[in-house]
Amino acid sequence: MSTAPPLPQNISASTVANTTSLLRILALGLISAAAIASRLFAVINFESIIHEFDPWFNYRATRVLAAKGFYEFWNWFDPTAWYPLGRVVGGTVYPGLMATSGVIYNFLHYFNLPVDIRNVCVLLAPGFSALTAWATYMFTKEMKDPSAGLLAAAFIGIVPGYISRSVAGSYDNEAIAIFLLMFTFYLWIAALKQGSALFGTLAAVFYFYMVAAWGGYAFITNMIPIHALVLLLMGRYSGRLYVAYCSWYAIGTLSSMQVPFVGFQPVRTSEHMGALGVFGLLQIVAFATLVRSHVSSKQFQNLTAISVVSLGLLGALAFIVMTYKGWIAPWTGRFYSLWDTGYAKKYIPIIASVSEHQPTAWPSFFMDLQFLIFLFPAGVVMCFRDLRDEHVFVIIYALVASYFAGVMVRLMLTLTPVVCVSAAVALSSLLDTYVDVKEPSLPDATEADKKPASSGAVGSHAGTSAAAVASSTISDIFNAAKSTKTSKPKGIWGTDARIVILLNAIGMLVFFVFHCTWVTSSAYSSPSVVLASQNPDGSQHIIDDYREAYYWLRMNTPQDAVVMSWWDYGYQIAGMADRGTLVDNNTWNNTHIATVGKAMSSTEEVAYPILRKHDVDYVLVIFGGLLGYSGDDINKFLWMVRIAQGVWPDEIQEPNYFTPQGEYRVDDRASDSMKNSLMYKMSYYRFSELYGGGNALDRVRNQHIPKVGPTLDYLEEAFTTENWIVRIYKVRKEDPLGRDLKTANAFAQGKKRKRGRVGSRRRAIV
Amino acid sequence: MLRLWDAIFCLLLASAAPVLSASTRSFENSAIVRTIDLGGSLVHVTTTFAIKALEKDAKEYTITLPEDEILNTSWLEVKVKGKQQPLTVSYSGSPAGSKSYNLDVILEEPLDVGATLNLVLETVQTHATRPWPEKAAQGEEQSLKYQTFLFVLSPYKTNVQRTKVKSSSPRIISYTTPERVEDFTLENPVTKSGATVTYGPYNNVPSSSTQAFVEKYQQPVELHYNYDYPVLQVLKLRRAAEISHWGANINIQDDITLHNAGPELNGHFSRLEHQTQSFYGRGAPHVVPMVTIHLPAGIRNTYYYDQIGNVSTSRLRVAPSAARGQKNVQSSVLELKPRYPIMGGWNYTYTLGWDAPLGDSANYDAKTGKYIVSVPVMTEIPGSVVNDAEISIILPEGAIDVDYVAPFPSVSNEVSTHVTYLDTIGRPLITFKYKNLTNRHTKPIYVSYRVPISAHFRKPLAVATVLLSLFTFAMVVRRVDLTIHKTAAPTKKM
Repeated sequence: MSTAPPLPQNISASTVANTTSLLRILALGLISAAAIASRLFAVINFESIIHEFDPWFNYRATRVLAAKGFYEFWNWFDPTAWYPLGRVVGGTVYPGLMATSGVIYNFLHYFNLPVDIRNVCVLLAPGFSALTAWATYMFTKEMKDPSAGLLAAAFIGIVPGYISRSVAGSYDNEAIAIFLLMFTFYLWIAALKQGSALFGTLAAVFYFYMVAAWGGYAFITNMIPIHALVLLLMGRYSGRLYVAYCSWYAIGTLSSMQVPFVGFQPVRTSEHMGALGVFGLLQIVAFATLVRSHVSSKQFQNLTAISVVSLGLLGALAFIVMTYKGWIAPWTGRFYSLWDTGYAKKYIPIIASVSEHQPTAWPSFFMDLQFLIFLFPAGVVMCFRDLRDEHVFVIIYALVASYFAGVMVRLMLTLTPVVCVSAAVALSSLLDTYVDVKEPSLPDATEADKKPASSGAVGSHAGTSAAAVASSTISDIFNAAKSTKTSKPKGIWGTDARIVILLNAIGMLVFFVFHCTWVTSSAYSSPSVVLASQNPDGSQHIIDDYREAYYWLRMNTPQDAVVMSWWDYGYQIAGMADRGTLVDNNTWNNTHIATVGKAMSSTEEVAYPILRKHDVDYVLVIFGGLLGYSGDDINKFLWMVRIAQGVWPDEIQEPNYFTPQGEYRVDDRASDSMKNSLMYKMSYYRFSELYGGGNALDRVRNQHIPKVGPTLDYLEEAFTTENWIVRIYKVRKEDPLGRDLKTANAFAQGKKRKRGRVGSRRRAIV
Repeated sequence: MLRLWDAIFCLLLASAAPVLSASTRSFENSAIVRTIDLGGSLVHVTTTFAIKALEKDAKEYTITLPEDEILNTSWLEVKVKGKQQPLTVSYSGSPAGSKSYNLDVILEEPLDVGATLNLVLETVQTHATRPWPEKAAQGEEQSLKYQTFLFVLSPYKTNVQRTKVKSSSPRIISYTTPERVEDFTLENPVTKSGATVTYGPYNNVPSSSTQAFVEKYQQPVELHYNYDYPVLQVLKLRRAAEISHWGANINIQDDITLHNAGPELNGHFSRLEHQTQSFYGRGAPHVVPMVTIHLPAGIRNTYYYDQIGNVSTSRLRVAPSAARGQKNVQSSVLELKPRYPIMGGWNYTYTLGWDAPLGDSANYDAKTGKYIVSVPVMTEIPGSVVNDAEISIILPEGAIDVDYVAPFPSVSNEVSTHVTYLDTIGRPLITFKYKNLTNRHTKPIYVSYRVPISAHFRKPLAVATVLLSLFTFAMVVRRVDLTIHKTAAPTKKM
């Protein structure tokens, strides 16, 4: 057999096997290192800090777990959240993340490694990304061969679509969930391939872990049944499928019900009915197969027809009745918004107000996946070429995930793994074909082409057959293009042709690495608690207003003080300031949030009773006007108005906050509702004085603030941070003389009372 | 009363047994001059006794301090004027029926009849001032009140005594004019010139530590003065010093709770006002925007964080490590800026730590084979008092023959075991507890210990053993086949 460059002979098979195995382990080790290292930008550029909003809650819960033990955590009732309602934390969280950190923390401490719980939390996501790379390797290995697996592992290790949710400090459920997702899928495929109850059980165990870790477990709950169903419809029912699915479903469902937050949902909500239905269907099919082997085919056909129709009718009827009776919960709003992107905006503004629930913009696909998005369809097509059971899985996964990724930005995360797998399959087929040094045989030896060839760079033996199949695929296309189906030999001739293609492929990979590094460092590594800017000399300047305010609250306010803020900052206040909040990022009570929205968008007189009834001591607003920080509360204000309007349509109306021309303004042309709203007043209180009577410019909205700023009667300024980003106001107590606070203030300032209005003003506010 | 005993215990060596009070006739005070330096948290009092022996071989001189002063005093030292070595002081009970306490000073050499000597008593009082008015708005000034007693008590007859009270600014708002002093002076009993208020001179004061004298003449005097610097208190200081021989490193970490003990902020904090004030450079004296701390030379890896993460607003200038025995060692300067300006009554907690070369603070004594390490009790935060301090010194794992010398007696100290970083038997941990530390207490604790050579290798051996056993286990597992029956290789296709 001729090869383009000469190959060394006389190397024993075991040497090759050992070397490839060593190389594979080395490659996986390096991939893990790269995956971890590229997620550390946030730690190096800033510090070891928990990012954003939700992670602060997870971190706080983990601290409780680490400090007080699992049972205390399990029974934890947090009276400070959702004041005065409180929150049963143990029953309303997915505890998988905290439990994982707690186990790691206790493990390290058992070996006398006093690692701070914060560092465990910060570095959990990078650590698990290495595991994800390994799980993806195992998964892709089942699809094609180890070399494709290594490529997939490398892709998932550094692809921004996954990094966006797993940088150091991004201590959220997704940090471990993607590993669990991929590993459960791998175990499912392994169970299905071997018909192994052991792997099925393992899949169930990891499914349980996934249920305990992330609400997105419903994705697995539906993916596996769909896969099983499609296999059934394709007539691929087998004992292996039955064993794998039943062991997974039975054990997985029972164990998932042990998570308090999930409880009886697996048998009562619509999202889980698919899995149950497929489980039932499999029993019927298995029974039918059994019957078929005992009765004649004519009888069997009748039997099948009757039973299928009746069972189908019965099942559908039962489902409808149970839904109608309320035994099965109907689809939730969040679920509807997956099908109709306009649904949330119309009916549940609170879901729509979250930026990560918006539909994905096209550029973000390229930003998050770069050239993988081009290889992705090719990989899916490759799966069709060799349609084994596991390939069906990838195809379904690709279809479903693509749709969801288009609907919601955050679901890009579930698309990323399958893109990496498909792209790796495609790219590895390409590399297999072109790295393979074997020259095509002469026409008389065409048959030799079908023989297994030694696979290229990695040279693994397990993948040779697949590689040969793939290479013949490429050659097919190659030949089809020539449109001459002669007996001309198929394949690549010479070294130069190989080098051109390979250089191109390597170039794409190199660009991919640069792109990933750049996106990670510039877009996904900001903690958002800390803002960075540059000094005139180019050095980094940290804007730390959030923590300044939170720490002030923590140190200098009474322990039981209640802080009202928009729900975005609830978890941060609880985590960093350790004070009670009215609403937080666990947006379970829309009315409570609307109450806060109403208080913020009403006048002081209307808001004051609300504040007092909720025992609010401090009100916290985010104001970016001085610095040009656009994520401030005035920009979020319309959502507050909308959410409040949803509950009190008579009192709060969105149009009132616009100018008659329909503009959203904060300068002297702002509408009266706007100018008198608590939010406006708190944001711009004494702002113009900072400019000493000059033109006070709001740098976010580029509008000039009126010279005479708003006055406050019911609140007083308590603290404002260095760059005015966080402003905290104290709610004044009722006047001891029973006057209303406006009159009391006017009296204190020595203003003369207007005649005739005394009586109406004397009323004490409860 | 408990507190009092605590205070006395702190001040004096516990071992010193009470000695019988010396006769009141053995000495005479030619003059007593007391100088009080008014401060915020700290008040420095220097009292000079010009004494004259009336008996032969007079060796014990007795100083009497009122109870209130003992309670406030956190540091006390008696020296012969012009000499470095402090004299031994011991507590010797209280004069009959009075609320004051006697301290016996043992002179170096007995004095002959008629011989004179100048004794200097230096004390530092903490928590002796209080803000008045108790609340001040952001732009207002800060004024404090300080109270003391008019006469310096002494069991001996005093020819002349006076008390000078110095303030840092000449704006003394008020001071008490003493009464019933006609027996001792015919002139003005109190005079003020500039920033100094002088009580006395009072002539021919009889033995004053008697109950009769105290009841008749002793009286409190109070000064109300402007103070232009913040009144800082460290409510709690926890210092941990960890010595590592492998890294030739000493890590010192301070957990500090800082409190502004000046007048409480009246009303609320206005950033606008604060920015205006600092823009025009006239910040109120009771606002602490920044604290400057002097750290040792040659430090590295300095960190400054609080409960929610790194504080990025500080500045550090590190001085290079100096050669041993060199004079005028520069210190590194840390400009520590809290997250927010600390207004009156506000708190702030933070953690400050650094690594320093072990060679700068340790010595090896080849004769005894012992290491001697010095760990400073505290790092001074200018003008502050440390209410509660806990200093723990963590020695290397396996250190034996641990011995220590504290520069002044602690409230309590104990030796325990601290387990960290892959330790197998843990490290010796010495903990000292102190109260009311001042700038006079920034002295080192000396710890000596021996580390056998085997202790150095304990950790690498332990880690190597664990790893090796893991690998061995993996090797065995790879080579043992536990499957019950062989199954055929799974088919690739359905």
